[in-house]
Amino acid sequence: MAPREDKPKNRTYSAAQPTTESASATAFGRQLLGRLTHEDLDRAHDRWRVAQARSQGRGALSLQSLRLFWLLVGPGVLVFLGENDAPSMLSYAATGARYGIGFFAPFFILTFAMGFIVQEMTLRLGAVTHRGHAELIFDRFGRFWGLFSMGDLVLGNFLTLVAEFIGVRAGLSFFGVKPEVAIGSALLLVLAVITTGRYWTWERITMGLAICNCVFIPAALLAHPDWAELGRALATWKPFPRGDSGEIVLLVLSTIGATVTPWMLFFQQSAVVDKGMQPRDIPAGRADTLAGAAIAAVVAIAALLATAPLFRHGISAADFQAAQFAQALQPWIGHAGAALFALGILEAGLVAIITISTSSAYAFGEVFGTAHSLNRPFREGWPFYAILLGSACAAAGLVLIPHAPLEFIILVVNVIAVLAMPPALAFLLMLANDAELMGEHANNFWQNAAGVIVTVMLIVAGVGFGITTVFPGILAR
Amino acid sequence: MEKSTNPKKPDLSNPELVLSLLEADQVVAAKQGSRFGRKKLSLRTRVILWGLRIYLVIMLVIVAISVLRALHGGH
Repeated sequence: MAPREDKPKNRTYSAAQPTTESASATAFGRQLLGRLTHEDLDRAHDRWRVAQARSQGRGALSLQSLRLFWLLVGPGVLVFLGENDAPSMLSYAATGARYGIGFFAPFFILTFAMGFIVQEMTLRLGAVTHRGHAELIFDRFGRFWGLFSMGDLVLGNFLTLVAEFIGVRAGLSFFGVKPEVAIGSALLLVLAVITTGRYWTWERITMGLAICNCVFIPAALLAHPDWAELGRALATWKPFPRGDSGEIVLLVLSTIGATVTPWMLFFQQSAVVDKGMQPRDIPAGRADTLAGAAIAAVVAIAALLATAPLFRHGISAADFQAAQFAQALQPWIGHAGAALFALGILEAGLVAIITISTSSAYAFGEVFGTAHSLNRPFREGWPFYAILLGSACAAAGLVLIPHAPLEFIILVVNVIAVLAMPPALAFLLMLANDAELMGEHANNFWQNAAGVIVTVMLIVAGVGFGITTVFPGILAR
Repeated sequence: MEKSTNPKKPDLSNPELVLSLLEADQVVAAKQGSRFGRKKLSLRTRVILWGLRIYLVIMLVIVAISVLRALHGGH
């Protein structure tokens, strides 16, 4: 395709000059009359509702202001609750079972704060440029770097999807459901959700599923946690975990990988674009992202609290998988609590399957120039839906293969996510600082400082993992 | 924004109304017809990108070593 600067008439809507002008107000926009698609109509309908709520809102807590927030909430909540996926929830549970209430409780909050810093940039990028993350990388950095970025995404997403189906299988096994039925049901759910042909409907259904992540909270309450101990841990970050240093570093890395992963960058930016958000929606988008991070952090701590009884009673959970956690917890949180835990793992896997496969589909559509919107009916956007379903089916298929190396995948999926983040963050920071794209919405000093700190922390964590792997026992006390 | 005759539902058959609700570069036809230009990468930027790429490759090798140790240690 010809570069933008070869078409002088495009200058009126160049993202280098973020505009709040509507399409009808520009000469170029009026040329688009008669070329509108179903996707444009759906998006315009969503914008109309936002405009109505915005024009009627009076005060931060008025009914219409709350309605405005309700209309704009979505991508942030989905990305964080989608990232509280099966391997993540198991990582959180493992910290509680291995080390009890201590260092990891405030550490979860730190990792979600890191996640918020990163995701807020993707929100701004999507709202200002109206382009997805993959598309921007290919446009601005070229095919060579774009393919590297896509390669990281494809590998990470596939491995993560496999882990999600493992979680679905394990969660339903607690209730005696056979693996084939569990996996097939998950695929049918994905199919059902995407047949809406409408981003708004897909978003609301997926959010309804995602909020069920909160089932870990009653499971935690049934564990009768020591609230004073939790308070001390949040205030002092103690006690520090003791034991094998390699295992501790691996768990730290898994925990970070449970909150900041490459697919989140691609998903939230594309979802913001598909939702039709505009620069003036950025404050509401920040609130949406903050809400998602806060809810996910609370649920992560709840998972830690729910499995803390295993630590208190000296139950070794070193090799536990999902269903084993639920079964092991029964004596202390009851059958209801254990069932809630298993349901939580199931939900975590289901929502992540939906969001991660959607992120893959968005990226492919953006890169190959095909339709890539949940506002497209199937017949118009079939490549997008084919990638979405195909990626889910490929992962599901691997889980059903006898003797497949599933244990390997569970071990590495969150670790690979952390390791792949620094290159992804480098592209994100460059895009967020790109004045030609972002104009007045480019990163300020503090946003850059925070982004660089997060990147450095991820590199340090990765190097720490590398050192303890190559030189086991180097950090032994 | 032009007002619809029905305050509860916009008249989406009116293309002018649709265009008034979207920014110019949100329209699908507009996005399909153009791309952002290539950004010139400085030498420092390319060094950073290559450095991070080499870091990732080294780390993936270490991950593979770690996993093989874990799998063999478990058997």
